[in-house]
Amino acid sequence: MNLRVVAALVWKDFCLFFRNRFFAAVSALGIVVYLAIYFAMPGSVDETLEVGLYAPVVPPVVEQLQEEGVELKKVASEEALKQAVADGRYVAGVVLPPDIMDKLATGEQARIDLYFAPDAPQEIKGGVEVLVTELAYLQAGEQAAVELSEEIVGMDMAGMQIPPRDRLRPLFAVFLIIFETFALANLISEEAERRTIHALLVTPMRMRELFLAKGITGTSLAFAQAVLFMAIVGGMSREPLVVLVALLLGAVLATGVGFLIASVARDMMSVMAWGVVVFIVLMIPCFSIVLPGTLSHWVEVIPSYYLVDTVHRAAGFGSSWGSLWSNLAILLGYEAVIVCTGILALRRRFR
Amino acid sequence: MSLRRVGVLLGKELLQGPKNFIFIWAVVAPIVISLAVSLVFGNLFTDKPTLGVMDEGDSRLVTMAADLTSVVTKEYDTVAGLRDAVQRGAVDMGIVLPDGFDDSILQGEDVRISAYTWGESLAKERAILRATVLDLARQLSGREATVQIESTSLGDETSIPWDDRVLPLVVLMAVFLGGLFLPAISVINEKEKKTLEALVTTPTTIEEVFVAKGVVGFGLGLFTGIVILVLNQAFSAEPLLLVLVMALGTVMASEIGVVSGALIKDTTTLFAMWKFGGILLFAPAFVYLFPQIPEWVAKVFPTYYLIQPVVEISQQGGGWPEIATSVLVLIGLDLAMLGVAAAVVSRARAYGISS
Repeated sequence: MNLRVVAALVWKDFCLFFRNRFFAAVSALGIVVYLAIYFAMPGSVDETLEVGLYAPVVPPVVEQLQEEGVELKKVASEEALKQAVADGRYVAGVVLPPDIMDKLATGEQARIDLYFAPDAPQEIKGGVEVLVTELAYLQAGEQAAVELSEEIVGMDMAGMQIPPRDRLRPLFAVFLIIFETFALANLISEEAERRTIHALLVTPMRMRELFLAKGITGTSLAFAQAVLFMAIVGGMSREPLVVLVALLLGAVLATGVGFLIASVARDMMSVMAWGVVVFIVLMIPCFSIVLPGTLSHWVEVIPSYYLVDTVHRAAGFGSSWGSLWSNLAILLGYEAVIVCTGILALRRRFR
Repeated sequence: MSLRRVGVLLGKELLQGPKNFIFIWAVVAPIVISLAVSLVFGNLFTDKPTLGVMDEGDSRLVTMAADLTSVVTKEYDTVAGLRDAVQRGAVDMGIVLPDGFDDSILQGEDVRISAYTWGESLAKERAILRATVLDLARQLSGREATVQIESTSLGDETSIPWDDRVLPLVVLMAVFLGGLFLPAISVINEKEKKTLEALVTTPTTIEEVFVAKGVVGFGLGLFTGIVILVLNQAFSAEPLLLVLVMALGTVMASEIGVVSGALIKDTTTLFAMWKFGGILLFAPAFVYLFPQIPEWVAKVFPTYYLIQPVVEISQQGGGWPEIATSVLVLIGLDLAMLGVAAAVVSRARAYGISS
């Protein structure tokens, strides 16, 4: 293996890639735009329902409710409460009558007025109605005949939920990685289309050096963009080494897929045609992170699942090597198969 | 300019176009994206808690829960299936109703229900689900509520479902994938394969070639855009106005496509430009996705003047008075872009096609 040849080939590919300054600038701007989308999205999770309360007499049970994901804020008057709800400061406003304690004590039905913001969705309206009804039952001393024996499944994230934008973080990083599949496949198919590959093969360069060089180019392009993105959005703050290794393995996976696409694609158009299909398949596991529960276990057949899951768990929950080594091992196994198959397929094409 | 030659070129584009991957992509992608984006955004930002129920007997509580509009209810056949759903986050809370649950409740017996809570569910969702289960059990017992709730919505505004918020993004994708991308890639392909130079050595002028390609993009963009509106049930109100607005928007897309095709050298650069420029084109759609972003931000982008009338007509029941200003601005943008396109095409003719 002649490393100087490899280095020269890598340098050539990088020069080709960035020769077009507009292309280079736009690639960088692409990351900037993803960052802009990331930072434009909500950076925190609103875990509690903030409800305004006007009550001349505040029932003691109100304090109990505040511990259960509902924050009741007392307001001085009914008018102030309505204004606050209309302004969107509270999702709902509750008005308790002055005689509520007496009525609850005597078993007489009391009337409670609820005010909602004009754009309050149905789930908020229904949820607040149910919560207030339950509150009244508790205050009246009518305990429910049902006792919930609760078990938290998975890590209890109460109070430390992952914001929507951080849930999308692995999706963006994986998107950047997989998108480079197109670039690498195009670089290789261009070599074949323009017959420069045959020119290269009459030099002292050997096939393995060619593949290593293309692999380094593809991997480093994908890896660098993903790492840059994750570093800026704080995706490296927890378990950075695990995230880095996962992204590196992801970049190698993208390279292997790029080899496979290049082995069947004749030109840029067929790179796109094959690439889009592969791209869609590889992006499917991202849905399991963005929309938990929408996909069942079949998604684990797709190799990118192990990349997405690892990045999500390491960056989002701080999962360490101990719980993620199996993901990384499976990912490594997948890409060994994909890269080898890609190289074999390309060898056949170049022969 | 000979309309007959434009017609011949148009026929060739229509005959050859469907064999091109991009042509298929421009039609299929918006439809797939429409379904996928609706799924993603329709679920990602919803606050509706999900309750999973595994009923070991035949409880009425399951039907009562399914009738609720504030909670999504899913049924499971086994405890293992329910637990797995909670583990995956398919439901926020899963409850197991024991056999004879309804009888026990009616007889006033205390019943213990196993509940599995997803670790990532929000505190407010847990609170609502707990209260909902208890409330349903109380309703099942037939006991009269201690309070009478009177709900009032302040103002006339209604909440915008996420499906509606996503519509502008999907419409823009449909219009610009067909309207912009197709003429651009068609011109670039001809340049790359040197067939454009061969074509203009015939009596055909470069203007005629660009017009034919622009018209194909216009037709495809308009068709796909309207299909998307129909699929999203947004085409019933003021269809003629909608077609007018979509047509004006697609003209702008085709003009940008022709200019891009004339200026960009190769397909790789076009895709790179799309990667970045596409976001700028779709920027106004993000203002509709996140209403907390001030509307003036969207007005900076030309595509706002296409999407504002579409949203106004299809979602807010607006008519000509509400969209007139945007339509006039859109016409102005079309004319300005036409000037740019004419200048770029004449430059291409003067300095050589492939420059």
